Amino acid sequence: MSGKGDLHVRDLLVRFVGQSHPLFSIAALDLPSGCSLGISGISGAGKTTLFHCLAGIARPASGQIEWGGTDIGALSADGLCRWRHRHLGLVFQDFHLVEGLSMLDNVLLPACFDRWKLAPALQQRARDLLTAVGLSAWDRLTALLSRGERQRVALARALLLQPAIVMADEPTASLDPDHRTQIGDLLVELVRAQGATLLVVTHEQELLLRMDRCVRLAQGALQEFSVS
Amino acid sequence: MMPRFNPFPVVGADLRRNRLLAWVTVLLMALSVATGIAVISQERALRQGSARAADDFDLLVGAPGSNTQLVLTAVYLRPQAIPLLDGDLLAKAGSAAGVKYAAPIAFGDNWQGHAIVGTIADFVSRGGTLQPTQGRIFQRRGEAVVGAGVALAIGATFSPAHGLHLPADDEATHGDPGHDAAHYTVVGRLPPRENIWDTAILVPIEDVWSVHGLSIGHAASGVSRIGPPWDAGHLSGVPAIAIKPDSVASAYRLRAQWRTPRSVALFPAEVLNDLYLTLGNVRDLMSVLAITTEVLVVAAVLMALLVGFLARQRQFSVLRAIGASRLYVFCVVWIEVVLLITTGAALGVMLGWLGSNGLSHWMQSQFGFAMPVRLGATEEVLVAGLIVTGSIVATLPAWLVFKRPIAEGLVSH
Repeated sequence: MSGKGDLHVRDLLVRFVGQSHPLFSIAALDLPSGCSLGISGISGAGKTTLFHCLAGIARPASGQIEWGGTDIGALSADGLCRWRHRHLGLVFQDFHLVEGLSMLDNVLLPACFDRWKLAPALQQRARDLLTAVGLSAWDRLTALLSRGERQRVALARALLLQPAIVMADEPTASLDPDHRTQIGDLLVELVRAQGATLLVVTHEQELLLRMDRCVRLAQGALQEFSVS
Repeated sequence: MMPRFNPFPVVGADLRRNRLLAWVTVLLMALSVATGIAVISQERALRQGSARAADDFDLLVGAPGSNTQLVLTAVYLRPQAIPLLDGDLLAKAGSAAGVKYAAPIAFGDNWQGHAIVGTIADFVSRGGTLQPTQGRIFQRRGEAVVGAGVALAIGATFSPAHGLHLPADDEATHGDPGHDAAHYTVVGRLPPRENIWDTAILVPIEDVWSVHGLSIGHAASGVSRIGPPWDAGHLSGVPAIAIKPDSVASAYRLRAQWRTPRSVALFPAEVLNDLYLTLGNVRDLMSVLAITTEVLVVAAVLMALLVGFLARQRQFSVLRAIGASRLYVFCVVWIEVVLLITTGAALGVMLGWLGSNGLSHWMQSQFGFAMPVRLGATEEVLVAGLIVTGSIVATLPAWLVFKRPIAEGLVSH
């Protein structure tokens, strides 16, 4: 029986619209639930496109992506939204917070997608997560926060609904060196504590070192490698 | 049943973040709606206000000339140089079949700008249907009944000044023994009529004639009498006679009878009808202009909002990436547009109503008749139409955002 965070990729082929030449292809990729995978590669190799495909944000030309037994390619657009909402937490390089909302409201935002009123327990979880990522004064608008603080909020937002999978696209790339280490550590620790599968697209050696496995996307194929 | 999601946190955040665009949108909508409301409600107020003033004049008889001038002079107390009716016609009108009363309407004097109108008691009481709120109707020479808007207390006395309305005309009175010697005592005050007659002072016509050195309508033996019956040989000319017929049939018969080479007879309502037809055309034109303006403003506002939404496409793509359904994002955009349009429309109704009232007060101070502003079905349809149309058109930006692929939105900036 597979966990909700199990990943199985088969015969994945990705090409840009209008191009016959594939961007990359992946014959097989498997990751058990609760493990972490670092995805590396040079710029333009297709890391973000792979990230989008694995998150159900973009559709591959062919192949199958199965998360926890669910073939996400078979889901409708709204089915994918629902699936992401229930099972996936996303962290972006540029945070993508809603600027007019406070820290706390940003963290609680995913909960507004499927309910009108937020339960006190959920609000408490949001406050606990903000505390865990080292933030206080939760009513501050996110527009007033530093980049490091914003990424902490984004991380708390990704973990709010206790997803089985957390995916992060260059989560530390836009941060200064001090914050890179702190955010990288927080990401790995909090996701591990939750028992979720973690997929990170990153160039950062330090972050790749924290992953259970690492793959590199190069010349249209995925190669496993170890970071030393 | 509770909704399945809550888009308002994002709606509120968007409006706060783009508050300048939101305010400009609301103000543009409000000004556009206010213009439409003001035009339509003012036209109606003018029609109702002017019609109310004419209620007391079923049939108006005057010397041949301009019908409009006769109505303006007698009904709206805007005296103009109109020819006088021969005095004997007043006696004839009073004794005609089907006439409840035939009241002379004579001007020439004022007190501190208030027109002094010479008439008979039946006209003051509108044939017994109008009771003074204070005091009584005049019963003898030298007594006056004031309109609700005249600042003279019961028992107060005053002297008339020669001239019509304008205090500057008083200069003509100085050294005029007829005016200097005349005194009136206020004996009654009429209830508010919400027209120019609230500012008038009504006195026996015999006094007006007397002050101007004219025959007073009665033989020497009856100099202290007021009102009909008249002595035909002693009657002076009058600018107008207001006739109260006893029935609609009588009104039409009397109008036909009094259309002679020596007199014209008209229903003021008919003259007003011509005016309303002109006003109606103007209103139609203004309404078209107002609606066109609204359509243009709504189109411009929606274009601005659409550009704003497309500029924020990334935010909507992120919302969908982190689990928001397409319906959620659609609702966020649609609610934002509808909120702005509805707020603009509500503010516009308020501004239009306030502006229209301000204009009415100014018109009342200038022309004397009240123009009560009430919002009617036309305005409701205008505003509802705007909101409904806006709500439907708002689906366009919502649909565009709804349709955009998530990955495209995430990487397009």
